[in-house]
Amino acid sequence: MRVRASKLLIFAPAAFLLAFFYLPLGSILKIGLWEEGPTLKPIIEVLSNEYHRRVILFTIGQALASTGLTLLLGLPGAYIFARYEFPGKRLLKAILTVPFVMPSIMVALGFILLFGKSGIITSLIGRDLGILYSWKAIILAHAFYNFPIVIRMVSALWQRVNPHYEEAAMALGARGWRLFWRVTLPLISPAIFASAMLTFVFCFLSFSIPLILGGYRYATIEVDIFTSIMTLLDFRTGSALAVIQIILSMAFMYIYLRALDSYAKREEQRVLQREKRLTRKELLSLKGALIGLYSLTVFIFILAPLIAVIYDSLQFNGSWSLEWYRRIFSAEYNPMFGATTFTAIKNSLLFGFGTVIFSITVGLPIAYALYRWDFRGKRLFDVLAMLPLASSSITLGLGYIALFSKTPLYYSPILIIAAHTIIAYPFVLRAVSTSLKKIRPTLWEAALSLGAREWQAFLKVELPLAAGGLIVGSIFAFAMSIAELGATYMLAKPEYTTITVAIYKFLGARQFGSASALSVLLMAVSTAGFLIIERVGEEAW
Amino acid sequence: MVTIELSGIKKAWEDFKLEINDLRVKDGEFLTLLGPSGCGKTTTLRIIAGFEKPDSGEILFDGKSVNELPPYERGIGIVFQDYALFPHMSVFKNVAFGLEMRRLPKAEIERRVKWALELVGLKGFENRYPEQLSGGQQQRVALARALVVEPQVLLLDEPLSNLDAKIRERLRGEIRRIQRELGITTIYVTHDQEEAMAISDRIAVMNVGKLEQVGSPLELYYRPKTEFVARFLGLSNILELEARNGVACAGKLCFPVEREGRVRIFFRPESVVIESGDDAEILDYELLPGRIRLRLELDGNTIIAERFLEELPFRPERPPRRVGLKVTRFSLL
Ligand SMILES: Nc1ncnc2c1ncn2[C@@H]1O[C@H](COP(=O)(O)OP(=O)(O)OP(=O)(O)O)[C@@H](O)[C@H]1O
Ligand SMILES: [Mg+2]
Repeated sequence: MRVRASKLLIFAPAAFLLAFFYLPLGSILKIGLWEEGPTLKPIIEVLSNEYHRRVILFTIGQALASTGLTLLLGLPGAYIFARYEFPGKRLLKAILTVPFVMPSIMVALGFILLFGKSGIITSLIGRDLGILYSWKAIILAHAFYNFPIVIRMVSALWQRVNPHYEEAAMALGARGWRLFWRVTLPLISPAIFASAMLTFVFCFLSFSIPLILGGYRYATIEVDIFTSIMTLLDFRTGSALAVIQIILSMAFMYIYLRALDSYAKREEQRVLQREKRLTRKELLSLKGALIGLYSLTVFIFILAPLIAVIYDSLQFNGSWSLEWYRRIFSAEYNPMFGATTFTAIKNSLLFGFGTVIFSITVGLPIAYALYRWDFRGKRLFDVLAMLPLASSSITLGLGYIALFSKTPLYYSPILIIAAHTIIAYPFVLRAVSTSLKKIRPTLWEAALSLGAREWQAFLKVELPLAAGGLIVGSIFAFAMSIAELGATYMLAKPEYTTITVAIYKFLGARQFGSASALSVLLMAVSTAGFLIIERVGEEAW
Repeated sequence: MVTIELSGIKKAWEDFKLEINDLRVKDGEFLTLLGPSGCGKTTTLRIIAGFEKPDSGEILFDGKSVNELPPYERGIGIVFQDYALFPHMSVFKNVAFGLEMRRLPKAEIERRVKWALELVGLKGFENRYPEQLSGGQQQRVALARALVVEPQVLLLDEPLSNLDAKIRERLRGEIRRIQRELGITTIYVTHDQEEAMAISDRIAVMNVGKLEQVGSPLELYYRPKTEFVARFLGLSNILELEARNGVACAGKLCFPVEREGRVRIFFRPESVVIESGDDAEILDYELLPGRIRLRLELDGNTIIAERFLEELPFRPERPPRRVGLKVTRFSLL
């Protein structure tokens, strides 16, 4: 009874993964590793080329540096969040979710508007800091994206450090740094390691930020593949680079998933420590000042790019105006090469909601099967289902071109939705798995004992209780689809241009005003999307 | 109503083996599975409920095998240790769940939910959510939810272990009352021997995956078959003696037995009557509310005796060095 049901349930998602992830991956491997027989020639050629070698090293180097900066920025926050209660904490927490849902192209644009030659900060302090179009801008933007992850994961464990351990250690004479080093750090290190690994993988695979902020000189592997294929039309080199990237990212992802396991185990411990409410006296002391300074830095860091974009969208020839908005909505002003702004909005929404539906259709059954059933090859299936997390959007785009360019599917928007789904669904899978695991197993048994069939127990008990994870996962999927640039750019015919692609084209044409106005629009569209998902989600379950 | 029979049940995990050769529960009986933590009580219950498939053996309800029936077709009601109330449903919805699954008409559902909530004394709590209830109230909702579908068999897995002592005592009386009222065949799991004695028609004592002994509370208490059962149900005296000519003696204390050779004599501390005399030396003693517990030495054996204070032949403040003793009730292990 069980095995058959689970097979049916997993069949469709498995077929989807096969068609839209494993087969395209196979085509890349074929181009990169096959010339009338297995060969390493393309790879060796890439590796013996000075430029590509530098790109590979730079990709790893910038990911390391970004991770370092991210930790530096995130760890104090994790400590403050885990230990103290202070005025403004809730607001700070809310602000920290902004990077999760802010499209990276908008962050890149914000950085240009802040640090560029005529940027806001540049004109404020009167000289160019030399941040833009260098590795500095890249790691700064990556830190912007990832430090909230560090805060979230590490503070979750820090709160669970049983105070008795620390008290016992203090009673034994450990204090200050020694206490931290010998007792606290070992307890929170799974969180530090897991969040650092996740950051590293994101930075290793990130595309829009190095593309826009790094330029040709500071290209990453992802950007290198993109230019090889889109500008030089060199599929051989592109595929060889992609093979290298896949191997590396899978290794990193494997380490990350292992780290995540030990993190999850620690997170299950229930001892939650109450945060300490700071007294007025403490708020006015050095401690309070440091917390205040940190909060202020976070506020500025997160809000500055956002505000810069909004401000810029409202400036025309040095004065306040809605001119940019008027332009992007006027039909004659048609710089998006074949599509109007309305079409772009429509496409973004279509792909966004399509991705949500596809991701749920693929992710929910897999999450449920892994949670509910035991079957042979379960561990392998788990790994195969999570592997798309290690894929990058450019590799995916390349694989789709290689596999589908001669099929009618190539001209259908389904392909774009499929690409977005492959990128986004692991997050749905994770989020749903996490909330399923939090359901006490006796609830399901209670439902069965009361006469519910398995599917009724699922619909009436488990699904409603996992709805939170499903909603969070859906919002994530929507946000990722809306912000996705690489695969969309490679696959979209002009009539399927999205807002994000349009922003990129404006940036390429250095029309920052229009790019800003579109970015604000993008932000509005995604916010509306989140609200809709939340609403629908809550009503449906 | 229904009888339950387990025969030749086996279930093995890497480091644990459950084996129940023969266990019968009579129609309307209240049977308790009693045993230390990890002995397999929950596993047994889950096998009866159908959540766990036995490696071999049969589960019979009224003589018919239910091995192949899924839990929802076995006609059971379960109360879990953690209550397992659906957190997203009100008390009413929780109790109505099983009836809705059976697609009863709305009016009927309302009538029966009302009946069940009255039965457990929770009238007026329909619209609360589980988190707004105390542990004892949650327990009652869980009971009402299990009973409202009129199951043939009620299974309870340590339903009281998360409650404090006072409520535990009151609720166990109520569970017993309701069970009698409905005459429902019930299997109750606990590791608390006092609870088991208070509530059960019969008790099945388990130890590392096996049934040690099944019998009425008094039978198990006074005539345990194994040392494990003896010790698990309360303080025990076990004397290893040599029987000759129909008696086995420790000093002047003699037991009439039918066997010859080595015997193990068992008796409870309350079966030891203290008299004036010099049979045994008082090693030490402990005052309990209204009672006294003495540790005595008799011919190299330590004996525990427990009496009410007024039964003592001496003033408890000034116990003598030696006393006489008599055992009123004993059995052989
Ligand atoms: N699904 C399982 N897989 C492996 N071992 C299990 C499983 N379920 C139970 N066990 C093992 O079987 C043994 C008996 O467990 P069970 O839960 O039946 O004990 P119990 O008598 O109910 O104990 P407690 O009083 O602690 O609830 C334990 O050693 C447990 O580790
Ligand atoms: Mg148990």
